[in-house]
Amino acid sequence: MKMSILAFALRALARRKARAFALGGGLAFAVALVAAVVFMTESLRAEAERAHAAHPDIVVQRLVGGRPTTISSADAARLAGIASVRNVTPRVWGYVFLPSLQGNVTIVGTAKNAPPLSIANGVLAEGRDIAPGAHEMIAGTELARFLGMRPGDELGLPTTNADAHALKLVGTFRSSLDLYTADVLICDEDDARALLVLPPGDATDLAITLSNPAEARVVARTITETLPGARVVERDLLARVYHLAYGRRAGFVLGASIPAILALLVLAWDRASGIGPDERKEIAVLKAVGWSTSDVLWAKLFESLLVGASATALGLLLGYGWIFWLGAPGLRPALVGWSVLYPRAALTPAVDVAQLLGISLAVMGPFALLSIVPAWRAATTDPLDTMRT
Amino acid sequence: MNHARARQVAIALVVSPALVVAGLAYDANARRAAKANDAAAIDALARRLPTSDLALSGGARWLRAISLEEPGAAFADGPASPDPDPAGAAMAPPIELWSASQRQR
Repeated sequence: MKMSILAFALRALARRKARAFALGGGLAFAVALVAAVVFMTESLRAEAERAHAAHPDIVVQRLVGGRPTTISSADAARLAGIASVRNVTPRVWGYVFLPSLQGNVTIVGTAKNAPPLSIANGVLAEGRDIAPGAHEMIAGTELARFLGMRPGDELGLPTTNADAHALKLVGTFRSSLDLYTADVLICDEDDARALLVLPPGDATDLAITLSNPAEARVVARTITETLPGARVVERDLLARVYHLAYGRRAGFVLGASIPAILALLVLAWDRASGIGPDERKEIAVLKAVGWSTSDVLWAKLFESLLVGASATALGLLLGYGWIFWLGAPGLRPALVGWSVLYPRAALTPAVDVAQLLGISLAVMGPFALLSIVPAWRAATTDPLDTMRT
Repeated sequence: MNHARARQVAIALVVSPALVVAGLAYDANARRAAKANDAAAIDALARRLPTSDLALSGGARWLRAISLEEPGAAFADGPASPDPDPAGAAMAPPIELWSASQRQR
């Protein structure tokens, strides 16, 4: 019996094609927009957390006037004596503004004992790792492409230090790692120091590895006491940073989408506020030919379910396709920032079945239930009265 | 549309979200599995980088390494452009540590 009512509901929708398409189209659009923002935010957050494990347990910076400044390598020796600190590495990195790019590149100095990068370990697309003291560099694919450089080419980066050498490109990162390397230029620590005009004995920050990462909070407190005014960044807090940063951006995009969401609410209100004279007459006829109130309510519920389910399915498909198949045109700049060097690597979905079902039920549930009250009102009215009006 | 045909189409529409969810979950899993091949490369690379932050805002140094830049740097990426992070990319300093340290003094 229910199957027959379901078939009847579909044919009833077919009789009111324009309204069903307007309602379903609006709903599908709203679902696609919300789903796309959720898919992309989750994907970016997961991408940022993917390299989280390789991050030092603690990073220490020195603040002056509330802004990070260089830290003395002598402070590294003071921190090395703290219990549970296994290793303190002064790091040299920073930014250089390229006028031709109208943007910053991130210069990263390589410490002497750094693990090697190669084509074999999947990091480099071509070339090899830098050799210490040879004034060489590895650049992101995107950066190298933008500068028109190929391995073997040399580049003199703008700096106020006359002693800084031009750097020879000896390798490029794989394009699938673009999200981490699009604007990165890795060179020898001495070259980085010269380019960034960092005095000997100073470092950008200190990376600390602990024997027991679970003691990070205790060690952080000791560092704060040892170096008053130092900014201590714990690895475990980074997940919160990514949630804050991408959650906030997603919030802004969703905020800008309020008109679309409002359109959805208006459509829902249209369902809640009652049914039209044609539908009212149809219900009266159904009652007159022997349909029970329960049958009528099932028919109206099925109508809403058919529109809601197909619109949700279409919306999810559109949202997913927009982000992961088409590369999120239009939405990507809003969520990833306004950089000159856009990472082109495809995003990896982080969404799971529970989230997909959550979005589906959050849309379909209220939408289907909203149809019950007006249908019940119409179904409990005397059919003769309805047909006479 | 006859009754049997209408019934089949209606059932297909009702179950379409479940089919789409299953299809998308399958595609997402396949893409995640393909990405897992990059895990070793990402790990090796991340050890040479100052931070695991994504290179999404290279033009704005206060947003390039959101976990390490100055807290509360509030600027747009470009003149008259919308500011994606009006409060700066706030990596809040461990305030509880600072306050605990102050109390101890």
